[in-house]
Amino acid sequence: MAQAERKLKELKTAHLKHDIGARRDLVVTLNTRSQARLISYGDDFLVAKLPPGTRVIYPPPPLEPLPDPDVAIRYALLHPENADPLFAQLNPNMRVTIAIDDISLPLPPMQRPDMRERMLNIVLQTLADYGVDDVHLIVATSLHRRMTEDEIRRMVGERAFKAFWPDRLYNFDAENRAEVVMLGKTDHGEEVWLSRRAAESDLLIYLNINLVPMDGGHKSVAVGLAPYQSLRHHHNPATMRDSRSYMDPTRSGLHRSADRMGKIVNRNVNVFTIESAINNRMYGGLLDFLHKNEDRFSDWDHARLSTFKWTLRNLSDGMRREMLRRYAAPYGMTGVWAGETEAVHSKALARVFQQYAVPVKGQSDILIVGVPYICPYNVNSIMNPVLVQCTGLGYLFNMYRNKPLVRAGGTLIICHPLRDEFHPEHHPSYVEFFHRCLAETTDSVELEKSFEAEFARNPTYVHMYRYGNAYHGVHPFYMWYWGEPGRQHVGRIIAAGCEEPEVAARMGWEPADTLDQAIAMATAELGRSASITYLHLPPLVIADVE
Amino acid sequence: MSVQNGNTFRSAAFYDLDGTLVDVNLLHVTAYMLANVAEWKGRLANIATLAMKLPGLYAAERHDRRLLNVAMFGIFKGISRDRLAVLGEEYCERVLMQHFYSQAVDLLAGNRDAGLEPILVTGSPDFVVSALARRLGVATFAANRLAYSRNLATGRLREPIIAGEEKARWCEEYAARKGLRLRDCWGYADSYYDLPFLTALGHPVAVNPDRRLLATARDRQWPIIRFGRSRAAAPAWPDDGEP
Repeated sequence: MAQAERKLKELKTAHLKHDIGARRDLVVTLNTRSQARLISYGDDFLVAKLPPGTRVIYPPPPLEPLPDPDVAIRYALLHPENADPLFAQLNPNMRVTIAIDDISLPLPPMQRPDMRERMLNIVLQTLADYGVDDVHLIVATSLHRRMTEDEIRRMVGERAFKAFWPDRLYNFDAENRAEVVMLGKTDHGEEVWLSRRAAESDLLIYLNINLVPMDGGHKSVAVGLAPYQSLRHHHNPATMRDSRSYMDPTRSGLHRSADRMGKIVNRNVNVFTIESAINNRMYGGLLDFLHKNEDRFSDWDHARLSTFKWTLRNLSDGMRREMLRRYAAPYGMTGVWAGETEAVHSKALARVFQQYAVPVKGQSDILIVGVPYICPYNVNSIMNPVLVQCTGLGYLFNMYRNKPLVRAGGTLIICHPLRDEFHPEHHPSYVEFFHRCLAETTDSVELEKSFEAEFARNPTYVHMYRYGNAYHGVHPFYMWYWGEPGRQHVGRIIAAGCEEPEVAARMGWEPADTLDQAIAMATAELGRSASITYLHLPPLVIADVE
Repeated sequence: MSVQNGNTFRSAAFYDLDGTLVDVNLLHVTAYMLANVAEWKGRLANIATLAMKLPGLYAAERHDRRLLNVAMFGIFKGISRDRLAVLGEEYCERVLMQHFYSQAVDLLAGNRDAGLEPILVTGSPDFVVSALARRLGVATFAANRLAYSRNLATGRLREPIIAGEEKARWCEEYAARKGLRLRDCWGYADSYYDLPFLTALGHPVAVNPDRRLLATARDRQWPIIRFGRSRAAAPAWPDDGEP
C-alpha cells in the first residue's frame, strides 16, 4: 500500500517532460543541399529529393509516457471528472457493460500489453471486488468488421479473454435487431440507436484510446455501439462537407451530430467514460530513424534506412505485407481520465493536441502526402484503392486546424502504388463499389442517392458482416464520403507512383509514374513559384495553420 | 421485373444446392435412396453395389462432373417413378431439411426481400429438389431428370444434364426468357466445377468453397461466404430498414 501511495504522489506532482522548444525545428524549408526525404508509399517508402523551397512539416517528438500506467488508471478511477468514483457506483446486483474500442486503433497495433488490456483488468478487478457478476464486454465495432478470436485475445489479454470469451465477450452486431434499441431522436431528427445490452445496463463503461483528436468523446458510444440507422445521420456527404476538419471537433459537423446523439445516450444510460491518450512513438528500436529529420541522419541512420529499403524491396508482396502486419508500435500512455464523457474528453483532447499540434504559417499551392501501408480499416488486411482515397483525402488532408494546408483549388499529391487489390473476405462490398458504382459516378451525393441503401441492405454483405469478418456493405460509401471535404476543397489530385493508372482514373485522379512527374504536372499549371508543402509521416502531425 | 406469390422480383439469385445450401452431396442422396428402396436384403445388395462403384464414381468426379451425374443416376435403374417420388419427399424431410445451413435460410429470405427471385440450379435429382423447392417456397429450379420407361427409371439422364457449363447455359436461357440481365443476378456455389455457372453471373459468391474455388474467388475478388451450423440469435433487419 505504501508503495502505491508513493506512486500516486509521484504521479500527481509529475509533469510531462515534453520540451516545447523542440518544436522550433518542426517546419523546415528545403534548399539545394537538403537530403532526400522519406515518404510513405504503401508497403514501401520513397526516398525523394523535393524541390528547393518545399516546406516540410515534421511531427513533434513523442511526449514522455507516464511512468506507471496502471497507477494512473487507478488514480483516474478514484478521482473521476464530474462523476462519483467507479467503486462508489457499484453494487452486486447491477448489470454492467464494458465497451471497448476495436482494432481500428491505434495504428499500427501497439505492443502488448495493449492499453485496453491494462484498463480492462483494473476495471474488472474493481467490479469483482464489489461483487458485480453480471458483466458483458462488447467490442464497439459498429459497422467495422468483427474482430477475430485471436485479435480480441491480443487486445484484451489472456485474463479477460479466458474469463469472458465468447459468451460475455463479443463483437457488437449492428444487424441483429434483437441487439439494438432506439433511445430517441435529437432535435435535428437524428435517430439514436444503441446496443440493447448497453442501453439496458445499470452502468456502461467505455474504454477508449485517443490516437487522434477525432476519436473519443460522444463518438465512442453513440457511434461505436450504433447500427446503420444511427450512422446514416452523420456519415453522409452533407455532414462531411460541413466538417473543417475532422481533427477539430469544434468545427466538425460529424462531431456535432455525434455529440447531439451522445447527449441522448447519456440521458438514458449511466455512462462512465475512460479515455486514454498515447504518444506518437510509432516506430522504435531499429526503425526509430523514421521519426527523424533526414538532414540530421547519422551514418547509422542511413545504413538502417538502406537495409530497411533493401529488405522491403526484396520480399515478395505477401511476405512484405506480413512483416509490416507483425510490427507492433511501442506507444506510451501519456494520460488517462475517467468520469463524465465531455469533461473527460476535453482533458484527453488537450493532451492529444499537445502531442500532435505544430504551428504552421499559411497555406500552400501543393500538398504532398504519402499514404502508408495501414489505415484504421485494413489492419491485418489489404489497403485497397478506396481506403487509399480515404486515408489520403480523408485523413491526411484533414490533419489540420483552422485552415487546410493546401489552398482552395490547389493540388494534392498522394503517393501510393494504387493497385486494384481488395481483401475479398474483409472488403467484399468495396469491390462492387469500386468496379460498379465508381464506374458510374464519383459524386458522393449521387452515390448516396443511387446505391447506398442497396448496399446497406444487401443480404450477402449483411451475412458476411454478421458471420464472417467483413466490413458492413455500406462501409465503402462512408470511406468515399470521408474524402468529401478534401474533394470539395482541392482543384486537382495527382496519384504519384501510381502503378495502375486506370485505378486513379476511376477515382477521378490523375496518375503520375513518379513523384517528380507529379510535381512537374502540378507546377506546370501553377507555375514555378508554386509553394509546396510535404506533410512528413510517420508518425502523425496536425498542422495549426495560421 | 416479375411477380410470384405476391413478391415482386427485379432480378434473380441462382443457388447451387449440394455443399452450398445443404451440407450433403449427391452421394448422400444416392446412398439414402438405395438404402431405403427395397427390403433389407435388397438394401444390403444396393449398398454393396454402390460401394463397389465408388472408385469409378470418384474417378468420374475428378474428371468431369457431368460424368459423375451420369454414373450416379445409373444406379437408380429399375426403381419406379412413384417410389422415387415418395423417397424424395422422405429424404427431403428427414435429411435435407436437417442439413440445411440455418444461415442459408436467412440469406434466401434476405435476397427474396431484396427483390431477387430464388432459383435452384443443381445436379441433384428432380424428385428430391422439387420436394425441397416446395418447402422453401421456391417456384423455379433446374435439376437433373431421370428418363423413365413404363414408369420405371431407365438409369439414363434426360438432357440437359445440369452440371458444369450446362448450369451456366440454363441460367442464360432462363434470363433471356424472363428478360433478366445476368450482370444483375447473383450466383452461389461451392465447387470449382461451378466456375462456368458463377462466371456467367454478375455477382458470383463462393460459399464454403473448395480449395480451388477459394483460390479463384480470391484472385477474382469475389465475396466468400462460410456457412456454419449455428443460427443467429435473431433475424436481421426486415427489408423496410426498421426493427
